[in-house]
Amino acid sequence: MPGAPVDALRTVPLFANLDDEELAQVALLFKTRRFPAGETIVKEGTDAAAFFLIESGEAAVSVRGSERRSLGPGDHFGEIALIDEGVRSATITATTDLACYGLTLWEFRPLVVENGEVGWKLLQSVALKLRNAELS
Amino acid sequence: MRVLLPLTEVSDTSVFGSKAVGLGQAVRDGLPVPPGVALSGALVEAVASDDGDALALVAAAVGPLGGPLAVRSSAVDEDGAEASFAGQHLTLLNVPSAAELGTALREIWWSANSDSAITYRKRVGLFTRPSVAVVVQALLDPECAGVMFTRNPVTGADERMIEASWGLGEAVVAGLVIPDSYRVRRDGQVLERRAGLKRVAIRSLAAGGTVEEDVAAELVEKLCLDDARLVELSGLARRCEEVYGLDRDVEWAFADSTLYLLQCRGVTRVGGS
Repeated sequence: MPGAPVDALRTVPLFANLDDEELAQVALLFKTRRFPAGETIVKEGTDAAAFFLIESGEAAVSVRGSERRSLGPGDHFGEIALIDEGVRSATITATTDLACYGLTLWEFRPLVVENGEVGWKLLQSVALKLRNAELS
Repeated sequence: MRVLLPLTEVSDTSVFGSKAVGLGQAVRDGLPVPPGVALSGALVEAVASDDGDALALVAAAVGPLGGPLAVRSSAVDEDGAEASFAGQHLTLLNVPSAAELGTALREIWWSANSDSAITYRKRVGLFTRPSVAVVVQALLDPECAGVMFTRNPVTGADERMIEASWGLGEAVVAGLVIPDSYRVRRDGQVLERRAGLKRVAIRSLAAGGTVEEDVAAELVEKLCLDDARLVELSGLARRCEEVYGLDRDVEWAFADSTLYLLQCRGVTRVGGS
């Protein structure tokens, strides 16, 4: 089945305001990617190319060499990279064999550029994230 | 454009990338290239997206090649960019059969869309969307393989410079061994032969993938190439220069006592020139 499961995408804050049809469009853009245990998935400080949603397996998050937390099925990372093409803020390493759904900024951007409604909803999500950050 | 062609018919770099087109030209010019097919970047992306029709198209075309297969990336980008992607885009050796191609193509697609590939692209000033075409060929099981410069890249001397090791040529390319090295005149006369230290060889595994194997002690410092094979390689160098022009960087292999051309690239800078 091509793409990522829509239900899993509902849990991603960036996509929280999208309706079912919009989520289905985004879901179709995902491709599966597998990492063997021990492989570095993303490295702190490198340019970010994709957002990942974990389907199965476990991964460890570390910042400046210090382990912070672990990730498992349903967890995700890198959604802001889809918009700003910025650098990774953490290193994430597969601690078991890992299956992910991945979405690159190259594929995400045309959908947003061509669909102003989706763009506006993403903007709202980012604004909410910013507001929460100011309050915390 | 979701399309695939036999190597013999591949000529459009904007669809198939420069590596595929280079191999296609080599086949048309009678150079000894292993049989294969080229897949467009759009077709690779469709397979990576789990498109069943795209995968069926690929499987049907690749089936006659049998197995195992070598699956090599062929970047579709600005002219001349291919060489600069060395090490960024994946090549998968020993994909057991067409049935495993979907996974292999997905891995190659991601290699062109990884964080490190994007970082590299930005560094060299490429801001376009990556596209990676693919060449699928029958995988050889070489006795020995390596690289050859049709002109000495260090001194610029008009002589062939050859490096060789046992098994697949990736042992030489990846620097896993100290390869044998040879200097050979254009007429095939050997100017120098120096045995390397070839403690490992990369071999295909029956279940797919490759493995580093220990080389038998008596072969570690034994020369891989005799004079007859050096003459053959010098002849291949001459043919490559006739087809592509002077100063070539050639990857080659001897399998079942037959010499094959795996890749032929231009050398951008030759010492002494």
